[in-house]
Amino acid sequence: MIELRDVSYGYTDREVLHGVSARFEAGGMYAVMGANGCGKTTLLRLVAGMLEPGRGEVLLQGRSVREYSARQLATRMAYVRQLPQTDFEFSAFETVLMGRNPYQHRLQNESEEDWRIVERCMKQTNTWHLRFSKPGQMSGGELQRVMLARALAQQTPVMLLDEPLANLDIAHQFEILDLLCSINRNEGKTILLVIHDLNMALRYCPQLLLLHGGGVLYQGSTSEGLVPQNISKVFGIRAAVVDDGGSPLLRLQPETEV
Amino acid sequence: MRSSVRFTVVLLLLALLLAAAMVGCSMLGVVRFSWDEMWQSPIFLNLRAPRVVLSVLVGAGLSVCGAVYQSVFRNPLTDPYVLGISSGASLGAAVAILLGLEAYVAGVGGCALLTGLLTVVVIYRIASTGNRMHTTTLLLTGVCITFLMSAVISFLMVLRQDKMDSIIFWTMGSFASASWGDVAVVAPVVAAGIGVVVYYCRDLNLLLAGSETARSLGVEVERVRRVLLLSTTLTVAFCVATCGVIGFVGLVVPHCLRLVCGPDNRKVVPCAIFAGGLFMLMCDTLARTVLMPAELPVGSLTALAGAPLFIYLLYRNKKKY
Repeated sequence: MIELRDVSYGYTDREVLHGVSARFEAGGMYAVMGANGCGKTTLLRLVAGMLEPGRGEVLLQGRSVREYSARQLATRMAYVRQLPQTDFEFSAFETVLMGRNPYQHRLQNESEEDWRIVERCMKQTNTWHLRFSKPGQMSGGELQRVMLARALAQQTPVMLLDEPLANLDIAHQFEILDLLCSINRNEGKTILLVIHDLNMALRYCPQLLLLHGGGVLYQGSTSEGLVPQNISKVFGIRAAVVDDGGSPLLRLQPETEV
Repeated sequence: MRSSVRFTVVLLLLALLLAAAMVGCSMLGVVRFSWDEMWQSPIFLNLRAPRVVLSVLVGAGLSVCGAVYQSVFRNPLTDPYVLGISSGASLGAAVAILLGLEAYVAGVGGCALLTGLLTVVVIYRIASTGNRMHTTTLLLTGVCITFLMSAVISFLMVLRQDKMDSIIFWTMGSFASASWGDVAVVAPVVAAGIGVVVYYCRDLNLLLAGSETARSLGVEVERVRRVLLLSTTLTVAFCVATCGVIGFVGLVVPHCLRLVCGPDNRKVVPCAIFAGGLFMLMCDTLARTVLMPAELPVGSLTALAGAPLFIYLLYRNKKKY
Protein backbone atom coordinates (compact mmCIF):
# COMPACT_ATOMS: atom_id res chain seq x y z
CA MET A 1 0.00 0.00 0.00
CA ILE A 2 2.82 2.41 0.91
CA GLU A 3 6.11 1.98 -0.85
CA LEU A 4 9.39 3.88 -0.68
CA ARG A 5 11.58 3.35 -3.74
CA ASP A 6 15.24 4.24 -3.35
CA VAL A 7 14.36 7.42 -1.43
CA SER A 8 17.02 9.93 -0.42
CA TYR A 9 16.44 13.11 1.51
CA GLY A 10 18.80 15.70 2.89
CA TYR A 11 18.39 18.92 4.82
CA THR A 12 20.66 21.79 3.80
CA ASP A 13 23.63 20.65 5.85
CA ARG A 14 23.43 16.86 5.79
CA GLU A 15 21.78 13.94 4.05
CA VAL A 16 19.52 12.06 6.45
CA LEU A 17 18.22 9.21 4.34
CA HIS A 18 19.95 7.65 1.38
CA GLY A 19 18.57 4.97 -0.87
CA VAL A 20 15.80 3.83 1.45
CA SER A 21 13.43 1.22 0.04
CA ALA A 22 10.61 -0.16 2.15
CA ARG A 23 7.08 -1.49 1.84
CA PHE A 24 4.20 -1.14 4.24
CA GLU A 25 1.27 -3.46 3.55
CA ALA A 26 -2.36 -2.49 4.18
CA GLY A 27 -3.53 -3.49 7.63
CA GLY A 28 -0.05 -3.83 9.11
CA MET A 29 1.16 -2.35 12.36
CA TYR A 30 4.74 -1.20 11.92
CA ALA A 31 7.25 0.03 14.46
CA VAL A 32 9.71 2.49 12.94
CA MET A 33 12.83 2.38 15.07
CA GLY A 34 16.38 3.64 15.14
CA ALA A 35 18.76 5.85 17.09
CA ASN A 36 18.10 9.60 17.55
CA GLY A 37 18.58 11.58 14.36
CA CYS A 38 18.58 8.52 12.10
CA GLY A 39 15.71 9.86 9.99
CA LYS A 40 12.58 8.30 11.51
CA THR A 41 10.67 11.57 11.55
CA THR A 42 11.98 12.46 8.08
CA LEU A 43 10.74 9.11 6.79
CA LEU A 44 7.29 9.70 8.25
CA ARG A 45 7.16 13.22 6.80
CA LEU A 46 8.15 11.89 3.39
CA VAL A 47 5.35 9.32 3.58
CA ALA A 48 2.93 12.06 4.66
CA GLY A 49 3.85 14.04 1.55
CA MET A 50 5.24 16.98 3.52
CA LEU A 51 8.71 16.61 2.12
CA GLU A 52 9.69 15.97 -1.44
CA PRO A 53 12.37 13.27 -1.75
CA GLY A 54 15.64 14.42 -3.26
CA ARG A 55 15.78 11.15 -5.17
CA GLY A 56 13.40 8.23 -5.54
CA GLU A 57 9.68 8.27 -4.85
CA VAL A 58 7.08 7.54 -2.24
CA LEU A 59 3.98 5.74 -3.48
CA LEU A 60 0.58 5.45 -1.86
CA GLN A 61 -1.64 2.87 -3.55
CA GLY A 62 0.69 2.93 -6.55
CA ARG A 63 0.58 6.72 -6.98
CA SER A 64 3.20 9.23 -5.86
CA VAL A 65 2.09 10.99 -2.67
CA ARG A 66 3.09 14.32 -4.21
CA GLU A 67 0.36 13.86 -6.83
CA TYR A 68 -2.42 13.80 -4.25
CA SER A 69 -3.96 17.10 -3.15
CA ALA A 70 -3.65 17.96 0.55
CA ARG A 71 -7.34 17.21 1.00
CA GLN A 72 -7.11 13.82 -0.72
CA LEU A 73 -4.13 12.89 1.43
CA ALA A 74 -5.91 14.04 4.57
CA THR A 75 -8.69 11.52 3.95
CA ARG A 76 -6.14 8.73 3.43
CA MET A 77 -3.43 9.40 6.02
CA ALA A 78 -3.53 11.01 9.44
CA TYR A 79 -0.27 12.34 10.82
CA VAL A 80 0.51 13.14 14.43
CA ARG A 81 3.72 15.04 14.89
CA GLN A 82 5.95 15.38 17.92
CA LEU A 83 5.43 18.25 20.34
CA PRO A 84 2.30 20.00 19.13
CA GLN A 85 2.40 23.66 20.11
CA THR A 86 0.24 26.72 19.61
CA ASP A 87 -0.21 30.14 21.20
CA PHE A 88 -3.92 30.25 20.43
CA GLU A 89 -6.15 28.42 22.79
CA PHE A 90 -8.58 26.12 21.04
CA SER A 91 -10.35 23.73 23.40
CA ALA A 92 -9.62 20.01 23.12
CA PHE A 93 -13.02 19.50 21.50
CA GLU A 94 -12.38 22.16 18.86
CA THR A 95 -8.96 20.65 18.23
CA VAL A 96 -10.38 17.19 17.61
CA LEU A 97 -13.15 18.68 15.48
CA MET A 98 -10.43 20.00 13.14
CA GLY A 99 -9.83 16.37 12.19
CA ARG A 100 -13.13 16.53 10.31
CA ASN A 101 -11.86 19.34 8.09
CA PRO A 102 -11.02 17.23 5.01
CA TYR A 103 -14.66 16.13 4.80
CA GLN A 104 -16.20 19.58 4.98
CA HIS A 105 -16.68 22.37 2.52
CA ARG A 106 -15.02 25.68 3.46
CA LEU A 107 -18.22 27.51 4.33
CA GLN A 108 -20.01 24.52 5.82
CA ASN A 109 -20.47 23.97 9.53
CA GLU A 110 -19.81 20.65 11.24
CA SER A 111 -22.73 18.23 11.06
CA GLU A 112 -24.29 16.16 13.85
CA GLU A 113 -22.40 13.23 12.36
CA ASP A 114 -19.07 15.06 12.82
CA TRP A 115 -19.94 15.79 16.44
CA ARG A 116 -20.75 12.13 17.08
CA ILE A 117 -17.47 11.00 15.50
CA VAL A 118 -15.51 13.48 17.61
CA GLU A 119 -17.26 12.33 20.78
CA ARG A 120 -16.51 8.69 19.98
CA CYS A 121 -12.84 9.37 19.21
CA MET A 122 -12.41 11.38 22.40
CA LYS A 123 -14.01 8.64 24.47
CA GLN A 124 -11.76 6.06 22.80
CA THR A 125 -8.65 8.01 23.76
CA ASN A 126 -9.99 8.79 27.23
CA THR A 127 -10.05 12.55 26.61
CA TRP A 128 -13.81 13.26 26.64
CA HIS A 129 -13.58 14.70 30.16
CA LEU A 130 -10.98 17.18 28.83
CA ARG A 131 -13.22 18.50 26.04
CA PHE A 132 -13.43 22.05 27.41
CA SER A 133 -9.76 22.23 28.43
CA LYS A 134 -7.31 24.56 26.70
CA PRO A 135 -3.77 23.45 25.77
CA GLY A 136 -2.33 25.38 28.75
CA GLN A 137 -4.53 23.42 31.14
CA MET A 138 -3.51 19.99 29.87
CA SER A 139 -0.43 17.94 30.60
CA GLY A 140 1.87 16.80 27.79
CA GLY A 141 0.35 13.33 27.87
CA GLU A 142 -3.22 14.63 27.76
CA LEU A 143 -2.35 16.86 24.81
CA GLN A 144 -0.78 13.87 23.08
CA ARG A 145 -3.98 11.88 23.50
CA VAL A 146 -6.05 14.77 22.17
CA MET A 147 -3.86 14.84 19.05
CA LEU A 148 -4.39 11.11 18.68
CA ALA A 149 -8.14 11.65 18.96
CA ARG A 150 -7.92 14.21 16.16
CA ALA A 151 -6.06 11.73 13.97
CA LEU A 152 -8.77 9.13 14.68
CA ALA A 153 -11.46 11.67 13.78
CA GLN A 154 -9.87 11.94 10.33
CA GLN A 155 -11.06 8.34 9.75
CA THR A 156 -8.18 7.47 7.46
CA PRO A 157 -7.01 4.00 6.47
CA VAL A 158 -3.42 4.95 7.39
CA MET A 159 -2.11 6.54 10.58
CA LEU A 160 1.42 7.95 10.88
CA LEU A 161 2.35 8.53 14.50
CA ASP A 162 5.60 10.21 15.45
CA GLU A 163 6.42 9.16 19.01
CA PRO A 164 2.83 9.15 20.30
CA LEU A 165 4.05 7.71 23.61
CA ALA A 166 6.68 10.37 24.28
CA ASN A 167 4.89 12.20 27.08
CA LEU A 168 2.79 9.36 28.44
CA ASP A 169 3.11 7.56 31.75
CA ILE A 170 3.42 3.80 31.60
CA ALA A 171 -0.30 3.20 32.21
CA HIS A 172 -1.28 5.50 29.35
CA GLN A 173 1.39 3.97 27.11
CA PHE A 174 -0.28 0.59 27.51
CA GLU A 175 -3.70 2.13 27.08
CA ILE A 176 -2.78 3.89 23.83
CA LEU A 177 -0.97 0.87 22.42
CA ASP A 178 -3.93 -1.37 23.29
CA LEU A 179 -6.18 1.13 21.54
CA LEU A 180 -3.95 1.25 18.45
CA CYS A 181 -3.81 -2.53 18.35
CA SER A 182 -7.57 -2.85 18.52
CA ILE A 183 -8.01 -0.22 15.80
CA ASN A 184 -5.47 -2.05 13.70
CA ARG A 185 -7.21 -5.40 14.20
CA ASN A 186 -10.86 -4.35 14.10
CA GLU A 187 -10.81 -1.55 11.54
CA GLY A 188 -7.87 -2.79 9.49
CA LYS A 189 -6.01 0.50 9.69
CA THR A 190 -2.36 0.59 8.68
CA ILE A 191 -0.30 2.11 11.47
CA LEU A 192 3.26 3.40 11.28
CA LEU A 193 4.57 4.16 14.71
CA VAL A 194 7.85 5.77 15.73
CA ILE A 195 8.60 4.19 19.08
CA HIS A 196 11.68 3.96 21.30
CA ASP A 197 10.76 1.28 23.81
CA LEU A 198 12.08 -2.00 22.40
CA ASN A 199 9.93 -4.20 24.60
CA MET A 200 6.77 -2.26 23.78
CA ALA A 201 7.54 -2.64 20.08
CA LEU A 202 8.14 -6.34 20.54
CA ARG A 203 4.88 -6.74 22.38
CA TYR A 204 2.58 -4.61 20.23
CA CYS A 205 3.97 -4.21 16.72
CA PRO A 206 4.22 -7.36 14.61
CA GLN A 207 6.25 -5.55 11.92
CA LEU A 208 9.45 -3.57 12.20
CA LEU A 209 11.43 -1.11 10.11
CA LEU A 210 14.84 -0.59 11.68
CA LEU A 211 16.84 2.38 10.40
CA HIS A 212 20.56 2.75 10.81
CA GLY A 213 23.06 5.15 9.27
CA GLY A 214 20.52 6.68 6.88
CA GLY A 215 19.45 3.34 5.44
CA VAL A 216 17.27 0.35 6.28
CA LEU A 217 19.04 -2.18 8.48
CA TYR A 218 16.10 -4.53 8.73
CA GLN A 219 12.50 -4.81 7.66
CA GLY A 220 10.33 -7.70 8.63
CA SER A 221 8.89 -9.35 11.69
CA THR A 222 9.72 -7.53 14.92
CA SER A 223 10.63 -10.64 16.90
CA GLU A 224 13.19 -11.60 14.27
CA GLY A 225 14.49 -8.05 13.85
CA LEU A 226 15.02 -7.06 17.46
CA VAL A 227 17.84 -9.48 18.05
CA PRO A 228 20.91 -8.71 20.18
CA GLN A 229 23.12 -8.28 17.11
CA ASN A 230 20.90 -5.56 15.54
CA ILE A 231 20.28 -3.80 18.84
CA SER A 232 23.99 -3.66 19.53
CA LYS A 233 24.65 -2.25 16.07
CA VAL A 234 21.97 0.44 16.19
CA PHE A 235 22.00 1.51 19.81
CA GLY A 236 25.29 0.20 21.17
CA ILE A 237 23.39 -1.68 23.84
CA ARG A 238 23.84 -5.22 25.01
CA ALA A 239 20.60 -7.19 24.85
CA ALA A 240 19.56 -10.65 25.85
CA VAL A 241 16.28 -12.29 24.94
CA VAL A 242 14.68 -13.97 27.91
CA ASP A 243 11.49 -15.96 28.10
CA ASP A 244 8.69 -14.06 29.83
CA GLY A 245 6.00 -16.66 30.29
CA GLY A 246 5.96 -17.70 26.63
CA SER A 247 6.63 -14.32 25.03
CA PRO A 248 10.10 -12.88 24.44
CA LEU A 249 11.41 -10.04 26.61
CA LEU A 250 14.59 -8.06 26.06
CA ARG A 251 16.91 -7.49 28.97
CA LEU A 252 19.07 -4.47 28.17
CA GLN A 253 22.28 -3.00 29.57
CA PRO A 254 25.00 -0.63 28.31
CA GLU A 255 27.82 -2.32 26.47
CA THR A 256 30.47 -0.65 28.60
CA GLU A 257 29.14 -2.23 31.77
CA VAL A 258 30.80 -5.42 32.97
CA MET B 1 -24.10 24.86 20.41
CA ARG B 2 -24.26 27.41 23.21
CA SER B 3 -21.22 29.22 21.84
CA SER B 4 -22.84 29.65 18.42
CA VAL B 5 -25.85 31.36 20.01
CA ARG B 6 -23.46 33.65 21.84
CA PHE B 7 -21.64 34.37 18.59
CA THR B 8 -24.87 35.33 16.82
CA VAL B 9 -25.84 37.63 19.67
CA VAL B 10 -22.40 39.29 19.71
CA LEU B 11 -22.45 39.73 15.93
CA LEU B 12 -25.95 41.25 15.91
CA LEU B 13 -25.09 43.50 18.81
CA LEU B 14 -21.96 44.75 17.08
CA ALA B 15 -23.87 45.40 13.84
CA LEU B 16 -26.55 47.36 15.70
CA LEU B 17 -23.96 49.32 17.66
CA LEU B 18 -22.10 50.16 14.48
CA ALA B 19 -25.26 51.37 12.73
CA ALA B 20 -26.21 53.50 15.73
CA ALA B 21 -22.67 54.88 16.05
CA MET B 22 -22.57 55.78 12.36
CA VAL B 23 -25.68 57.90 12.76
CA GLY B 24 -24.65 59.33 16.13
CA CYS B 25 -21.11 60.23 15.07
CA SER B 26 -22.42 61.89 11.91
CA MET B 27 -24.39 64.33 14.06
CA LEU B 28 -21.38 65.31 16.19
CA GLY B 29 -18.62 67.72 15.23
CA VAL B 30 -17.88 71.40 14.71
CA VAL B 31 -21.28 71.67 13.06
CA ARG B 32 -23.96 69.77 14.97
CA PHE B 33 -27.07 68.49 13.23
CA SER B 34 -30.45 67.25 14.25
CA TRP B 35 -31.85 64.22 12.43
CA ASP B 36 -33.86 66.32 9.94
CA GLU B 37 -31.17 68.89 9.20
CA MET B 38 -28.59 66.22 8.61
CA TRP B 39 -30.01 64.89 5.35
CA GLN B 40 -30.13 68.34 3.73
CA SER B 41 -26.76 69.62 4.87
CA PRO B 42 -24.00 69.61 2.23
CA ILE B 43 -21.48 69.40 5.10
CA PHE B 44 -22.95 66.05 6.04
CA LEU B 45 -23.50 64.78 2.53
CA ASN B 46 -20.12 65.78 1.08
CA LEU B 47 -17.76 65.80 4.05
CA ARG B 48 -18.95 63.98 7.10
CA ALA B 49 -20.82 61.06 5.55
CA PRO B 50 -17.91 59.91 3.34
CA ARG B 51 -15.58 60.34 6.32
CA VAL B 52 -17.74 58.16 8.55
CA VAL B 53 -18.11 55.51 5.85
CA LEU B 54 -14.41 55.52 5.01
CA SER B 55 -13.34 55.19 8.63
CA VAL B 56 -15.67 52.21 9.08
CA LEU B 57 -14.31 50.57 5.90
CA VAL B 58 -10.68 51.11 6.88
CA GLY B 59 -11.29 49.96 10.46
CA ALA B 60 -13.00 46.79 9.24
CA GLY B 61 -10.27 46.12 6.68
CA LEU B 62 -7.34 46.64 9.05
CA SER B 63 -8.93 44.57 11.83
CA VAL B 64 -9.59 41.61 9.55
CA CYS B 65 -6.05 41.89 8.15
CA GLY B 66 -4.68 41.88 11.69
CA ALA B 67 -6.58 38.67 12.47
CA VAL B 68 -5.20 37.11 9.27
CA TYR B 69 -1.57 38.07 9.94
CA GLN B 70 -1.88 36.73 13.48
CA SER B 71 -3.02 33.37 12.15
CA VAL B 72 -0.68 33.16 9.16
CA PHE B 73 2.37 34.12 11.22
CA ARG B 74 1.00 32.19 14.22
CA ASN B 75 1.68 35.06 16.50
CA PRO B 76 -0.84 37.12 18.49
CA LEU B 77 1.51 40.13 18.47
CA THR B 78 1.30 40.97 14.79
CA ASP B 79 -0.77 43.46 12.83
CA PRO B 80 -0.19 45.39 9.58
CA TYR B 81 1.49 48.22 11.47
CA VAL B 82 3.71 46.20 13.80
CA LEU B 83 4.90 44.04 10.91
CA GLY B 84 5.89 47.15 8.95
CA ILE B 85 3.50 46.39 6.08
CA SER B 86 1.66 49.70 6.57
CA SER B 87 4.99 51.57 6.55
CA GLY B 88 6.03 49.66 3.47
CA ALA B 89 2.83 50.66 1.73
CA SER B 90 3.24 54.28 2.84
CA LEU B 91 6.56 54.46 0.99
CA GLY B 92 4.78 53.59 -2.25
CA ALA B 93 2.13 56.19 -1.47
CA ALA B 94 4.82 58.83 -0.86
CA VAL B 95 6.54 57.98 -4.14
CA ALA B 96 3.19 58.20 -5.94
CA ILE B 97 2.66 61.71 -4.56
CA LEU B 98 6.09 62.76 -5.77
CA LEU B 99 5.22 61.39 -9.18
CA GLY B 100 2.16 63.61 -9.17
CA LEU B 101 -0.39 60.81 -8.83
CA GLU B 102 -1.94 62.44 -5.77
CA ALA B 103 -5.30 63.00 -7.39
CA TYR B 104 -5.77 59.33 -8.28
CA VAL B 105 -6.56 57.13 -5.30
CA ALA B 106 -6.14 54.04 -7.43
CA GLY B 107 -2.69 55.22 -8.57
CA VAL B 108 -1.51 55.89 -5.03
CA GLY B 109 -3.07 52.59 -3.95
CA GLY B 110 -1.31 50.72 -6.74
CA CYS B 111 2.10 52.08 -5.73
CA ALA B 112 1.32 51.37 -2.06
CA LEU B 113 0.40 47.82 -3.04
CA LEU B 114 3.72 47.27 -4.80
CA THR B 115 5.86 48.35 -1.86
CA GLY B 116 3.48 46.67 0.59
CA LEU B 117 3.83 43.35 -1.21
CA LEU B 118 7.59 43.76 -1.33
CA THR B 119 7.55 44.20 2.45
CA VAL B 120 5.42 41.10 2.96
CA VAL B 121 7.79 39.03 0.83
CA VAL B 122 10.78 40.26 2.84
CA ILE B 123 9.08 39.54 6.18
CA TYR B 124 7.92 36.14 5.01
CA ARG B 125 11.38 35.18 3.77
CA ILE B 126 13.11 36.26 6.95
CA ALA B 127 10.55 34.91 9.37
CA SER B 128 9.88 31.53 7.79
CA THR B 129 13.41 30.16 8.00
CA GLY B 130 12.32 27.68 10.66
CA ASN B 131 9.07 25.79 11.02
CA ARG B 132 7.81 28.28 13.56
CA MET B 133 7.69 32.04 13.15
CA HIS B 134 9.70 33.52 15.97
CA THR B 135 8.23 36.52 17.73
CA THR B 136 11.54 38.33 18.04
CA THR B 137 12.45 37.86 14.39
CA LEU B 138 9.03 38.99 13.22
CA LEU B 139 8.92 42.07 15.42
CA LEU B 140 12.49 43.11 14.70
CA THR B 141 11.91 42.73 10.98
CA GLY B 142 8.84 44.95 11.28
CA VAL B 143 10.74 47.54 13.31
CA CYS B 144 13.63 47.60 10.83
CA ILE B 145 11.31 48.00 7.87
CA THR B 146 9.53 50.85 9.63
CA PHE B 147 12.92 52.54 10.27
CA LEU B 148 13.97 52.02 6.70
CA MET B 149 10.74 53.38 5.29
CA SER B 150 10.73 56.45 7.52
CA ALA B 151 14.33 57.13 6.52
CA VAL B 152 13.45 56.95 2.84
CA ILE B 153 10.34 59.06 3.38
CA SER B 154 12.32 61.77 5.25
CA PHE B 155 14.80 61.76 2.39
CA LEU B 156 11.98 62.23 -0.12
CA MET B 157 10.52 65.04 1.94
CA VAL B 158 13.81 66.94 1.90
CA LEU B 159 14.03 66.48 -1.84
CA ARG B 160 10.51 67.78 -2.38
CA GLN B 161 9.78 70.26 0.36
CA ASP B 162 6.75 71.58 -1.50
CA LYS B 163 5.03 68.21 -1.02
CA MET B 164 5.99 67.88 2.64
CA ASP B 165 2.52 68.51 4.01
CA SER B 166 0.81 65.81 2.03
CA ILE B 167 3.56 63.29 2.78
CA ILE B 168 3.45 63.98 6.51
CA PHE B 169 -0.26 63.31 6.30
CA TRP B 170 0.48 59.78 5.12
CA THR B 171 2.80 59.01 7.96
CA MET B 172 0.39 60.18 10.67
CA GLY B 173 -2.94 58.87 9.45
CA SER B 174 -6.08 60.96 9.08
CA PHE B 175 -9.54 60.82 7.56
CA ALA B 176 -9.78 64.60 7.19
CA SER B 177 -9.67 64.56 3.39
CA ALA B 178 -12.09 61.66 2.92
CA SER B 179 -14.31 61.93 -0.13
CA TRP B 180 -16.88 59.78 -1.90
CA GLY B 181 -14.16 59.16 -4.51
CA ASP B 182 -12.00 57.49 -1.85
CA VAL B 183 -14.94 55.44 -0.66
CA ALA B 184 -15.70 54.32 -4.22
CA VAL B 185 -12.17 52.92 -4.59
CA VAL B 186 -11.65 51.54 -1.08
CA ALA B 187 -15.08 49.92 -0.64
CA PRO B 188 -14.74 47.28 -3.39
CA VAL B 189 -11.13 46.52 -2.43
CA VAL B 190 -11.92 46.07 1.27
CA ALA B 191 -15.06 44.08 0.45
CA ALA B 192 -13.13 41.77 -1.85
CA GLY B 193 -10.28 41.39 0.66
CA ILE B 194 -12.65 40.56 3.49
CA GLY B 195 -14.63 38.23 1.23
CA VAL B 196 -11.53 36.16 0.49
CA VAL B 197 -10.63 36.01 4.19
CA VAL B 198 -14.13 34.90 5.19
CA TYR B 199 -13.96 32.15 2.57
CA TYR B 200 -10.68 30.88 4.03
CA CYS B 201 -11.55 31.22 7.74
CA ARG B 202 -11.58 27.48 8.35
CA ASP B 203 -8.12 27.16 6.81
CA LEU B 204 -6.92 30.06 8.98
CA ASN B 205 -7.86 28.08 12.08
CA LEU B 206 -5.85 25.12 10.88
CA LEU B 207 -2.85 27.31 10.01
CA LEU B 208 -2.75 28.22 13.70
CA ALA B 209 -1.91 24.60 14.44
CA GLY B 210 1.26 24.87 12.34
CA SER B 211 1.90 24.32 8.66
CA GLU B 212 2.61 20.57 8.90
CA THR B 213 -0.49 19.86 10.92
CA ALA B 214 -2.55 22.10 8.63
CA ARG B 215 -1.31 20.19 5.62
CA SER B 216 -2.04 16.82 7.16
CA LEU B 217 -5.59 18.07 7.83
CA GLY B 218 -6.10 18.94 4.18
CA VAL B 219 -4.96 22.57 3.76
CA GLU B 220 -2.86 23.52 0.72
CA VAL B 221 -0.72 25.58 3.04
CA GLU B 222 1.45 27.52 0.60
CA ARG B 223 -1.40 28.39 -1.74
CA VAL B 224 -3.73 29.48 1.05
CA ARG B 225 -1.00 31.60 2.65
CA ARG B 226 -0.23 33.29 -0.65
CA VAL B 227 -3.87 34.05 -1.42
CA LEU B 228 -4.45 35.42 2.06
CA LEU B 229 -1.28 37.52 2.18
CA LEU B 230 -2.02 38.93 -1.26
CA SER B 231 -5.61 39.88 -0.51
CA THR B 232 -4.85 41.34 2.92
CA THR B 233 -1.88 43.33 1.62
CA LEU B 234 -4.12 44.69 -1.11
CA THR B 235 -6.59 45.79 1.57
CA VAL B 236 -3.87 47.36 3.73
CA ALA B 237 -2.32 49.15 0.74
CA PHE B 238 -5.57 50.83 -0.25
CA CYS B 239 -6.39 51.74 3.34
CA VAL B 240 -2.93 53.33 3.66
CA ALA B 241 -3.34 55.05 0.29
CA THR B 242 -6.49 56.87 1.41
CA CYS B 243 -5.89 57.58 5.07
CA GLY B 244 -2.22 56.98 5.80
CA VAL B 245 -0.65 54.74 8.42
CA ILE B 246 -2.96 53.97 11.33
CA GLY B 247 -1.45 51.49 13.74
CA PHE B 248 -2.59 48.86 16.24
CA VAL B 249 -6.21 48.56 15.03
CA GLY B 250 -5.49 45.08 13.73
CA LEU B 251 -3.97 44.19 17.09
CA VAL B 252 -6.57 45.59 19.48
CA VAL B 253 -9.78 44.48 17.79
CA PRO B 254 -9.07 40.77 17.13
CA HIS B 255 -7.51 40.42 20.58
CA CYS B 256 -10.57 41.81 22.36
CA LEU B 257 -12.85 39.66 20.22
CA ARG B 258 -10.91 36.51 21.11
CA LEU B 259 -11.60 37.24 24.77
CA VAL B 260 -15.33 37.24 23.99
CA CYS B 261 -15.77 34.50 21.39
CA GLY B 262 -12.62 32.37 21.57
CA PRO B 263 -9.86 31.81 18.99
CA ASP B 264 -12.11 30.44 16.19
CA ASN B 265 -11.52 32.68 13.15
CA ARG B 266 -14.96 31.81 11.80
CA LYS B 267 -16.26 33.91 14.68
CA VAL B 268 -13.41 36.40 15.11
CA VAL B 269 -13.31 37.54 11.47
CA PRO B 270 -17.03 38.33 11.00
CA CYS B 271 -17.09 40.12 14.37
CA ALA B 272 -13.88 42.00 13.45
CA ILE B 273 -15.64 43.53 10.44
CA PHE B 274 -18.17 45.31 12.66
CA ALA B 275 -15.99 45.80 15.74
CA GLY B 276 -13.11 47.16 13.64
CA GLY B 277 -15.40 49.61 11.89
CA LEU B 278 -16.86 50.67 15.22
CA PHE B 279 -13.45 51.10 16.88
CA MET B 280 -12.07 53.20 14.04
CA LEU B 281 -15.23 55.32 13.84
CA MET B 282 -15.04 56.06 17.57
CA CYS B 283 -11.35 56.94 17.34
CA ASP B 284 -11.90 59.23 14.37
CA THR B 285 -14.88 60.92 16.00
CA LEU B 286 -12.80 61.53 19.12
CA ALA B 287 -9.94 62.78 16.95
CA ARG B 288 -12.10 65.46 15.39
CA THR B 289 -14.17 66.45 18.42
CA VAL B 290 -11.90 66.39 21.48
CA LEU B 291 -9.99 69.59 20.64
CA MET B 292 -12.54 71.17 18.30
CA PRO B 293 -11.96 72.82 15.90
CA ALA B 294 -8.44 71.40 15.85
CA GLU B 295 -7.98 67.76 14.82
CA LEU B 296 -5.81 65.09 16.36
CA PRO B 297 -4.17 62.54 14.08
CA VAL B 298 -6.36 59.44 14.44
CA GLY B 299 -3.26 57.25 14.44
CA SER B 300 -2.19 58.70 17.77
CA LEU B 301 -5.51 57.72 19.34
CA THR B 302 -5.39 54.14 18.08
CA ALA B 303 -1.79 53.92 19.32
CA LEU B 304 -2.92 55.18 22.72
CA ALA B 305 -5.24 52.19 22.94
CA GLY B 306 -3.00 49.72 21.13
CA ALA B 307 0.51 50.31 22.44
CA PRO B 308 -0.27 49.48 26.10
CA LEU B 309 -2.08 46.33 25.00
CA PHE B 310 0.92 45.42 22.87
CA ILE B 311 3.26 45.81 25.84
CA TYR B 312 0.93 43.73 27.99
CA LEU B 313 0.85 40.95 25.38
CA LEU B 314 4.62 41.06 25.09
CA TYR B 315 4.92 40.77 28.85
CA ARG B 316 2.50 37.84 29.00
CA ASN B 317 4.27 36.17 26.09
CA LYS B 318 7.59 36.51 27.85
CA LYS B 319 6.27 34.86 30.99
CA LYS B 320 5.06 31.91 28.99
CA TYR B 321 8.46 30.79 27.65
